[in-house]
Amino acid sequence: MRAIEAGLLVCHECHQLNPVDVDAKHQYCSRCGGQIHARRPNSLIRTWALLLTSAILYIPANLLPIMTVNSLGKGAPATIMGGVLELINFGMLPIAAVVFIASILVPTFKLVGIALLLYSVQRHQPMSARQRILMYRFIEWIGRWSMLDIFVIAILVAVVNFGSLASIEAGAGAAAFASVVILTMLAALTFDPRLIWDNTETDHD
Amino acid sequence: MSDSPSEFSLSSLPIEQLVACHECDLLMRKPVLQDGESAECPRCGYELFSHRHHVVRRSLALVLTALLLYVPANFLPIMQLNLLGQTSQDTVWSGVIGLYESGMQGIAVVVFLCSMAVPLLKLLCQLLVLLSIRMDFGRSYGLLLYRIYHHMREWGMLEVYLMGILVAMVKLMDLADLSLGLGLFCFIALLLVQVWLEVTMSPHQIWEALSGEDIHAGD
Repeated sequence: MRAIEAGLLVCHECHQLNPVDVDAKHQYCSRCGGQIHARRPNSLIRTWALLLTSAILYIPANLLPIMTVNSLGKGAPATIMGGVLELINFGMLPIAAVVFIASILVPTFKLVGIALLLYSVQRHQPMSARQRILMYRFIEWIGRWSMLDIFVIAILVAVVNFGSLASIEAGAGAAAFASVVILTMLAALTFDPRLIWDNTETDHD
Repeated sequence: MSDSPSEFSLSSLPIEQLVACHECDLLMRKPVLQDGESAECPRCGYELFSHRHHVVRRSLALVLTALLLYVPANFLPIMQLNLLGQTSQDTVWSGVIGLYESGMQGIAVVVFLCSMAVPLLKLLCQLLVLLSIRMDFGRSYGLLLYRIYHHMREWGMLEVYLMGILVAMVKLMDLADLSLGLGLFCFIALLLVQVWLEVTMSPHQIWEALSGEDIHAGD
């Protein structure tokens, strides 16, 4: 049995149960004072909006240079993929794999994964509730790791600072990439996981 | 939930004896837990409760340790780079400044928030919440601060930053002479203490203590 069927609402913030008040326009938690809803309002629409925005920004994030390495007067702009290839050329395969996973695989997987999750909740297909919740938890957990490349740039810009001898500047791609990461994190936060279970016909699994 | 006695009897129980899973909305009878035990949702596996021994006292010790480590972790050099006789140092703060001065103010703000501001504000919120429970003072502000803390949780990214330090070091190794700084060790210590604190400070115990349901919480 779901709490919503028993006339109870779970607070988003402190998880306290509150009896539903049908007359109230806005209802607040009796324990922590946070506003409570049966389900997050317009969860699917808001998640779609954030997802589409980040999908658009995903293109400049991958095509524009995220940083430029200036060495002895010559500037070499590098994209995300360029950075991975450079690490492979150095023979640093484990680190190249980490950067590749964090900066290319994870953002792509998140965009596809959230879209699939939304589609499957709206159309009751093609995944089981258990698969959907595993996917949701994975996306929620992995999201922050895509900030890795942004932090790497911050460190490199600060430490490689030798004037005309060698210096590193951040590029426009980095701003687009940071926006993609933040927007997909927000999309995962806006999605209400309880919707996953609402659409299952039976309550048993 | 086929093993529950009857689904209809659940809704007739008083609200204090019930609990609903936050992630899948399954309603069930509230379990009674001993110290060190935890309960998971039978349907989706979300951790509902975990009950920890001396939660306030232990968390308070960890928060204070983390706050002491915060300043050296962010302002002592993480690494030094030596290139043809010139040296430069990197701290978490200098990374933010470097980005800001190179014209990327937006990213500088994001890095500042995720690696410095949010981790600090999270610790301060936790400290004030724990003090308000311990001293039995200003519980309503405690509730508000603990709500704010839960909204910030996702955005503190110390562990990702540490991985970033590692990647940056590998990229720089061939380029110049690299040496590790004391700041790196403080940063790792801060990260470990913070993870330990998140595990120790079990949210449902803190919420109950803040709302006065658990009168022995401050012990």
